[in-house]
Amino acid sequence: MITERKECIAMLLAGGRGSRLKMLTEHVAKPAVTFGGKYKIIDFPLTNCVHSGIDTVGVMTQYQPLLLHDYIGKGQHWDLDLLHGGVSILPPHSKPGSTAWYSGTANAVYQNQNFIETFAPEYVLVLAADHVYKMNYGTMLEYHKQVGAACTIAVIEVPLKDASRFGILNTDPSDRVVEFEEKPEHPKNNLASMGIYIFNWRVLRGYLNDDELNPESSHDFGKDVLPAMLRDGLDLYAYRFDGYWKDVGTDESLWQANMDLLDDLHLGFEDWHILSKSSGRPPHFISPTGSIKSALITEGCEIYGTVENSILSVGVVVEEGAIVRDSVIMENAHIGKNAIVEYCILDEEAVVPDNCVAGEPRERGKLNVYSRDTKFQPVSDERRSAL
Amino acid sequence: MIGLCLSDPHPDRAGDGSPIRTLSAARFAGRYRLVDFMLSNMVNSKIFTIGMILNSHYQSLISHIGMGKEWDLARKSGGVTFFPPYHADERRSVNGELDGPLQRAAEFLTETTAKDEYLVLADSGVIYNMDYRTALEAHKRKKADVTAIYTKKNITPGERENTVVFNISDTGRVVAVEQAPPNADEINVSLGAYIMSKRCFIQLTAGEKNCGMLRFSRVLLASALERLNVMAYEFKGYSAHICSVETFYHYNLEILNIEKRKLLFDFEGRQISTNRKDSLPTKFGKNSDIKNSLIADGCQIYGTVVNSIICRNVKIAAGAVVKNSVLQDDTVVDKDARLDCIIADRGVVISENRNMMGYSSYPVYIERKRVI
Repeated sequence: MITERKECIAMLLAGGRGSRLKMLTEHVAKPAVTFGGKYKIIDFPLTNCVHSGIDTVGVMTQYQPLLLHDYIGKGQHWDLDLLHGGVSILPPHSKPGSTAWYSGTANAVYQNQNFIETFAPEYVLVLAADHVYKMNYGTMLEYHKQVGAACTIAVIEVPLKDASRFGILNTDPSDRVVEFEEKPEHPKNNLASMGIYIFNWRVLRGYLNDDELNPESSHDFGKDVLPAMLRDGLDLYAYRFDGYWKDVGTDESLWQANMDLLDDLHLGFEDWHILSKSSGRPPHFISPTGSIKSALITEGCEIYGTVENSILSVGVVVEEGAIVRDSVIMENAHIGKNAIVEYCILDEEAVVPDNCVAGEPRERGKLNVYSRDTKFQPVSDERRSAL
Repeated sequence: MIGLCLSDPHPDRAGDGSPIRTLSAARFAGRYRLVDFMLSNMVNSKIFTIGMILNSHYQSLISHIGMGKEWDLARKSGGVTFFPPYHADERRSVNGELDGPLQRAAEFLTETTAKDEYLVLADSGVIYNMDYRTALEAHKRKKADVTAIYTKKNITPGERENTVVFNISDTGRVVAVEQAPPNADEINVSLGAYIMSKRCFIQLTAGEKNCGMLRFSRVLLASALERLNVMAYEFKGYSAHICSVETFYHYNLEILNIEKRKLLFDFEGRQISTNRKDSLPTKFGKNSDIKNSLIADGCQIYGTVVNSIICRNVKIAAGAVVKNSVLQDDTVVDKDARLDCIIADRGVVISENRNMMGYSSYPVYIERKRVI
């Protein structure tokens, strides 16, 4: 059944744990991890879709989906609660002859073919919720049509020394892809795949079906589907992106991306309003004893202590005499009187009791991440006098 | 229960170019509008059918409320219904009778909400956090015709004129509606909120085309005190009556007090909702110096802010000093400008080095989009 034809729909892969984040993804899937004080990582691809004119998004969830489902709701926070299209949450489901989990990125899309068919799209945009960036997918779609590709892969230039961490595309002068290497040891190039693909749906459908029947396949776009297309000589093109794009898949990169906001709040793109489910809490309060230098602070925070070079999320309380420095504090964390918090990520709901310490001075170079259940130790005299 | 909002038109203070918005849409505590408190109170009391009688300058109020989505009021049954005046002098309705917002509201009450017997009449200019259901219980228990909700408090000089005071007998009956006495502590101040049956409301307002809360209290209700059993119900929480530029200023700054803020925003677990704009978090620069202030999202602050309320998307440049002021959305304070006791309406620009000062009892109001 076709409800309404859409030229292009988005399929958002939101089922991964983001296991490199460990503590922060124990209770929530990576797309639901807080970023920049009041956003979730999934706000970025959803906002990009809306601003790019893509109004139909299937969100494939699997790992710890409860909070993520609640957060997405009916898509109302992104104006995606629509009569036709909008957001659809697509968890793995049983069907005749199968009760399978999503076994890979390609398999997740394969299992949702029926959903895609209801919109009879010409193109399917496959996205991950792993990155913080602002991008107009509409421009990329125009490019895809213009070059007549079967698949267009968004790429960004990365420093050559980091290139072996990425899927690297080797292209001819017209940006047609000639080789795709997943995390190559000796990269020939610095064009990294951003994990953003536009496919001609009819072509992709065929490859997904073939891939499913291949017992050797890991059912992954980067490892299996794209190489198969290349082997068959299809036209794959690279689409160059040169804006802000940051992986937030590790503790360090998540911390750094948060800190980048202190330098450029707009991530280089001013009129691209990031939509989100705001909390509706009262504005933040800074008491006569509070002090703030170089910080990002949002709704519901109460500051009685000192905050320097830090990002505070919704509802964080910093009590009198406490010091928060070089840190990213997640929602509703509570920092007690005379506590010290330095160079760390403090998870949602974490409590640093009065006179206790979290993290180490930044000069020592070790970023600490604390889960909500961490028991913190009292501040030593030595540490306090070192301040 | 259903809710009906009556508000008074915006009072002007001579000579200062007063705010042009209807009072309900005036800002409070950085990100709220006055009407948010009334709507939240109603929704927190499980009232989902709300009528709003409008007077004038209601454009920004309607834009703010919209379908009422932020208060869970965008629903199939119930929701917010607006009753604006149709014409400057409401001419004739279809059947030739004189018509006005109140008549239309009365019709709405009888026809569309037949199953709800009781009505809360509320004034969006008074803000507090209350569950009206406790007052409704008292109303039923005492077999009252009207329950008048009041609180015991001292009032500021600025609100004397617009304050309604109840004289209450030992049995809790309202025996007189009075003006505020000049120097009195702890008087029984009306919250501008009444509970009654729909029938009672329709009788009380018969013949009225449109009326504000002051007229309702001082004329319509006052003249019915002998005829009707009007019982008083005391509200024991924080309340602010915003009816003038002075009171707007006074109560905005008063909410810097944490105890009062808790009583208003988180009283007995009830939250206040408002329109959400997804502004960016507020960014503080390296040399910002902030003391005792409430700051909404979307601001960029590089200067000094003391004892102030800063609404959304305000920019305060390095070297600027803002004290004892209420800066509404999109205000820009340029380098080295100094403000003390100022109310800046939306979009005001204070240029470099400008120095403006009011006094706590006479804050200077700068109208919207004015460039100084």
